[in-house]
Amino acid sequence: MFRILSKSLKTGVVTKADPFESRPPLGFPVIDFARCTACEECAHACPTGAIALAAPAADRRQLSLSYAACIQCRECVAACPEQVVASGRDVEVAAYTREQLTQTASFDLDGMGRARFTHMEAQAGPGLEESAARLRERIRGLLGRSLHVREVDAGSCNGCELEITATTNPVFDLERFGIHFVASPRHADLLLVTGPVTRNMEIALRRTYEAAPEPRVVVAVGACGCSGGIFGEGTYASIGGVDRVVPVDVYVPGCPPRPQAILNGLLVAMGVREARLNPKAPAASPEPAVTPSPARPRARGVDEG
Amino acid sequence: MTAARDVLRDRLALETLAELRPGEFVAEVPLSGLPETADRAMAAGLRLASLFGSDEGPGGGFAVHHLWAATGPPGFVRVWAPVARDAPRFPSIAAKYPVANWFEREIMDYFGLVPEGHPNRSRVALHDDWPENVWPLRKDFDDRQVVPRVGGQSRPYRPVIGEGVFHVPVGPVHAGIIEPGHFRFGVAGEPILYLQVRLFYAHEGTEKRFERLPWRHGLFLAESISGDTSVGHALAFAHAIERLVGVEPPPRARHLRVVLLELERVYNHVADIAGIATDVAFTVPAARAQILREGLVTMQERLFGSRLLRGTIALGGVKCDLTLGRRREILLDLEGLQREFDDLVTLLIDSGNFTDRVDGTGILPNQVARDFGVVGLAGRASGLDLDLRRDQPHDAYSGLHFVVPLEEGGDVRARFMMRAREVELSLVILRHVLEDMPEGRVRSALPDALPPSSSALGWAEGWRGECLHWVQTDGEGRLRRVKVTDPSFKNWQGLAHAVPGNILPDFPVINKSFNLSYSGNDL
Repeated sequence: MFRILSKSLKTGVVTKADPFESRPPLGFPVIDFARCTACEECAHACPTGAIALAAPAADRRQLSLSYAACIQCRECVAACPEQVVASGRDVEVAAYTREQLTQTASFDLDGMGRARFTHMEAQAGPGLEESAARLRERIRGLLGRSLHVREVDAGSCNGCELEITATTNPVFDLERFGIHFVASPRHADLLLVTGPVTRNMEIALRRTYEAAPEPRVVVAVGACGCSGGIFGEGTYASIGGVDRVVPVDVYVPGCPPRPQAILNGLLVAMGVREARLNPKAPAASPEPAVTPSPARPRARGVDEG
Repeated sequence: MTAARDVLRDRLALETLAELRPGEFVAEVPLSGLPETADRAMAAGLRLASLFGSDEGPGGGFAVHHLWAATGPPGFVRVWAPVARDAPRFPSIAAKYPVANWFEREIMDYFGLVPEGHPNRSRVALHDDWPENVWPLRKDFDDRQVVPRVGGQSRPYRPVIGEGVFHVPVGPVHAGIIEPGHFRFGVAGEPILYLQVRLFYAHEGTEKRFERLPWRHGLFLAESISGDTSVGHALAFAHAIERLVGVEPPPRARHLRVVLLELERVYNHVADIAGIATDVAFTVPAARAQILREGLVTMQERLFGSRLLRGTIALGGVKCDLTLGRRREILLDLEGLQREFDDLVTLLIDSGNFTDRVDGTGILPNQVARDFGVVGLAGRASGLDLDLRRDQPHDAYSGLHFVVPLEEGGDVRARFMMRAREVELSLVILRHVLEDMPEGRVRSALPDALPPSSSALGWAEGWRGECLHWVQTDGEGRLRRVKVTDPSFKNWQGLAHAVPGNILPDFPVINKSFNLSYSGNDL
């Protein structure tokens, strides 16, 4: 007993005062669309279809990038011959709709078949502020500063579970924000759901949702929870994103999202933090050991414009 | 090399046994020859590592494959038999060799091939609401469809009858933050009479998904087979592809792969020790272990850009490199970890409150572990001396000499001690590999296409046990079949036999001491 006490005293407080201060070395990709030639190399390299090229007309192209499906594998960064795809350093991304996680750029083709960037498409559905107001309206006052969370694994690979568990460790200690994991949906204000939702978990997820009292909030976690991720959407086994089965209030993309991103998503759902979407450009900090490809030089910071 | 083949050929009486590649042998037998060969293999001390089906597609039939692991001489022997499309059945070996139980029923569920003579021909993988005569891994089954649900219950749970005995159903949504699965306990008050495990809630269609994705993208799917074993499964897949195309990763990459695999082992073992301490309500060491685990994954993020080591393994090598400065940084971090970790383990095993809960709890007897083919740390905790790092070395393990820790108890304490001793061993291996890193490239170039109509086996000793990937290509060089064998698939049956006789409140810590993957099992 004495040893335990002395060890604890010596260790002191390990909890990070500001869990959001650290930036990961490599986050979601950032495309400098203005310099992009819509060559489609990144879309071919993307294993989840997070980057896709469409041809709405013979002389037009649309390149879209969705963080909902992105697994941060950085293949697009390595594949881009123009070096206009870079890894952002801000991964505490959260949104209120799937559409908010997608950016779409339009290009015109000239006579030689070269693509020229024209504009960014307006994002479909409500904007961040409008969605935030709607969510606040729905949960007004009822949650206060206390949030009881039931975690539901609706078919994940367990990567998200590892990081959700990490939010409870002494370093992140999410209970200090008034957030508490509970054992039953009947005690929960919020369901934290990972996916992809499998055919075999669909009914269990629906029932868990129905067992939670109103106003129940749902946060979808991970690329698979947001979009089906690498497992896809609409297969015989994987229904896909959580929103295919129950309504989702907040999306936390990433594969898996860091504990900071999950904590951020929960605070967004409580209305304590604002959802953010646009990762900043890579900062001038030490390069991590990861090199996207041995053959090509790394893409440089591209988001200054 | 041919000497090894000759020895195995004689022992198994397989005239046609061929050596596909070093350590990988194959022989075709008629269907009726499978049980006989199995008898010989078992008698010769081989163990069944996997058993799976495949569909050769239009114009062809099916095949059933028995994958045997031999240690002296070391090698994997795949004995396969063709199955005619109009006679979809194969002889079962499950009555004699329980390790085949789930494997054969899985073939029945996914391919519609009937295991004749199987003592329990009920579904294992497909849930009750899946219709009859729909087999998702057959080639004529399109994965992009919604399969209607059907009513009825085809597999009632085993009843308990008598005064004061009852069922306790748990899951698939659990009270803690764990994966989905259903446990049905038959209990008499607190003591557990038996445990029935129903899994496959996390069946994401992974094996079918491999067949749809371009083969290079299969690596990312492999990383998501079980999130805690990203390196283990990515390595097994990469090994299979590399063997298929005949490309060796450069020496430096082989060393870096060892670093990644051992780091994965360490962070998972430390996290599991936190979990075991939590499940016996010993919160101080639990918190200490959580802090250590967080320190490890933070270091991994700093060094490799990913806390869980995603995106570090490449086909043909690795995507990361470690400068001398970085390597010294890891060594320094690990030194600190070692001190803290030793303290932590002492704190736990010196505490009567802790040993009281783990000693003699959840015993998996050696014979039961052997019968169900239990592998990895759970097997070693029950005295099964198996470790592919030593028995069939991959990557830079062939140049390392180490003694694989072994425990005999088979209880929660033994599995706890295995973790403690394996972390120690991993730190020795890490130190050695980090200090003795060869120079050079970290990635070999791969050809643009896979060879058509061929197959290869890849393996890696992940932290939980052996990860096996068998990859087969079709006539155009696309992936026709990827059979993934996660250690959990064999170990779940072992777990179900370690539980009866214990009390229900001890189940969480027994379960945690195995820490099996649901996703890796359900695929």
